[in-house]
Amino acid sequence: ACRMSSDVGPAKFQPPPKPVVIDKQRRREERRFLSPEFIPPRGRTDPLKFYMERKDMIQRRKVFNIPEFYVGHILAVTTADPYADGKTNRFVGICIQRGGKGLGATFVLRNVIEDQGVEICYELYSPRIQEITVLKLEKRLDDNLMYLRDALPEYSTFDMNMKPVSHLEHEEIPVNKLQVRMKPKPWSKRWERPKYNIKGIKFELPERKMKEAQKWKQPWLEFDMLREYDTSKIEEKIWREVSEELKK
Amino acid sequence: MMPIWTKSGEKHPVTLLKVQDCHVLKYISKENSDGKRAMLLVGGKNASPFYKSEAEMKIFREAGVPRKQKVATFKVTDDAIIKPGTPLYAAHFRPGQIVDVTAKTIGKGFQGVMKRWGFKGQPATHGQTKTHRRPGAISTNKVARVFPGKKMPGKMGNIYRTSFGLKVWRINTKHDIIYVHGSVPGHTNCLVKVRDTKLPVYKDCNKNPPFPTFFADGDENLPEDLYDEEMFQFTDPSVTYA
Repeated sequence: ACRMSSDVGPAKFQPPPKPVVIDKQRRREERRFLSPEFIPPRGRTDPLKFYMERKDMIQRRKVFNIPEFYVGHILAVTTADPYADGKTNRFVGICIQRGGKGLGATFVLRNVIEDQGVEICYELYSPRIQEITVLKLEKRLDDNLMYLRDALPEYSTFDMNMKPVSHLEHEEIPVNKLQVRMKPKPWSKRWERPKYNIKGIKFELPERKMKEAQKWKQPWLEFDMLREYDTSKIEEKIWREVSEELKK
Repeated sequence: MMPIWTKSGEKHPVTLLKVQDCHVLKYISKENSDGKRAMLLVGGKNASPFYKSEAEMKIFREAGVPRKQKVATFKVTDDAIIKPGTPLYAAHFRPGQIVDVTAKTIGKGFQGVMKRWGFKGQPATHGQTKTHRRPGAISTNKVARVFPGKKMPGKMGNIYRTSFGLKVWRINTKHDIIYVHGSVPGHTNCLVKVRDTKLPVYKDCNKNPPFPTFFADGDENLPEDLYDEEMFQFTDPSVTYA
C-alpha cells in the first residue's frame, strides 16, 4: 500500500502475509471416489462378467466424462432426442436416487416445472446422453430423496437456467442438513417408519403417531450377519484398477 | 445379462455365454445314426474323471481329451464333419448370426396348478371353503375318465427348453464370450447348447460363417472383439440425430 504525505512518521516494517500452502497432493489422495455402480452385487455370478462390464464402462468414461456426483446434487443433462428441435433435450434437476449396477446404472432427476413435478430416470452409460454437468455440489442427509415427492414443491424447484456454482476440487463436499417440510398426509410411503431411516424430514406429526411408527422397528437387523456385505476390499481393488485404466 | 445399445440409441438386453474348453468328441456316420445326417458329439467344460465308469470314459480317452461335464449331439451335413479332438472356440460364431440356445430350466420342485400351468384359481372371499388355488373340475360327465396329459400339479422346471432366433451381437475372442440377444433358459453359470437356427425365416441370415469351424492355429488373426454393424461401440462418441 502506498503512503501519502499525511501519514504518521516512518512506518514499522510489516512482513508480507505468509502464503497459505494448500497441500493438494495429500488431500487428493485422501479422497477417493468410486462410483457405486462399479461395486458388484453379492451373488453367484462369474467375476469375469463384472470384469467385461467394467471394461466397457471404463471405455465409455474415456470418451465421455461422467462427473462424480452423489444423491442431492443438482445436475443438468443434455440427451439426443430425435423429436425435439435442435435434436437435444436439456433437463435440470436434483438427483434423488442412484440405482442399478454395471452398465445399467441409472439416476433419477427431479424438478418442478410450471407447478408440475417431473422426474426423469437417465441411464449413466446410455450413448444418447451428450453432456452431464454438475451445477451444485451438495450432499444431503439421506441416500434416497424419494420423500421430496411428498414435500412442499418449493424444495424440488430449481431454475432451468441456473448458473453452475463453483467448487474447489480439494474441498470436501458440503452436507446440507436441511430438514424438509412435508405436505399434509397421506403420503406415497409412510416416511416416519424406521425402515426408511430418513433424517432429512421435519416431522410435524403428533407424538402419538411417531411412537406408533416405532412399533415397526426391527432392531435385530443390524446384528444380522448374513446381511453383511463388506465391500471395502473389493472397492479398493476396483478403484485401483479403474484409476489406472483411466490415467492411460 | 447386460444392456447393449444400437447406433440409433435403442437398448437391448443381452446374455453372456462363455465357451469353456469345448472339444469335438466323436463322429457318428449317417448309417449309424439312423438318419439322413451325420452326428458329431461335442463336449464342454472340463470335469473330474474319477466319478464316471470306464465305459463312459472310453469316448474321452479315444478323443484324447479330459472328461467333459456336458456332452451334446449336433446333426451335421457331410461337408461340416470335424476330426474328433479339435477344440471349438467362440469365434465359430460371427456377430449378426441367429442362434438357438437350449438349456435345462431352473427347477422349481413340486408346484401347484396355478404356478405350473397358469390357472386362475378361485376367489379369495365370497364363501369359498378351503378352495383358493385348486384346479377345479378335471373332466366332463359324459367322458367318464380323465384325459391323459391333463394339466395337474407336479414337478416343474429342470427340463430342456430352447429359445429360438437369438441374434449374436458381439464375440470376444480373448475370453471366448458370445453376447446373445434376450434371455436364455437356465440359472446363472449353467451349461448351455448353442446351435444355428432352424427357423425358416433366418435361412439366409448366416453369411460366410467360418466353415467347418474356426481353427485357432490357422492364419486368421481376429481382433479381440467382433461387433455387429448396428451395435454401438463404446469407443465411438455419443449418438446424435442429424
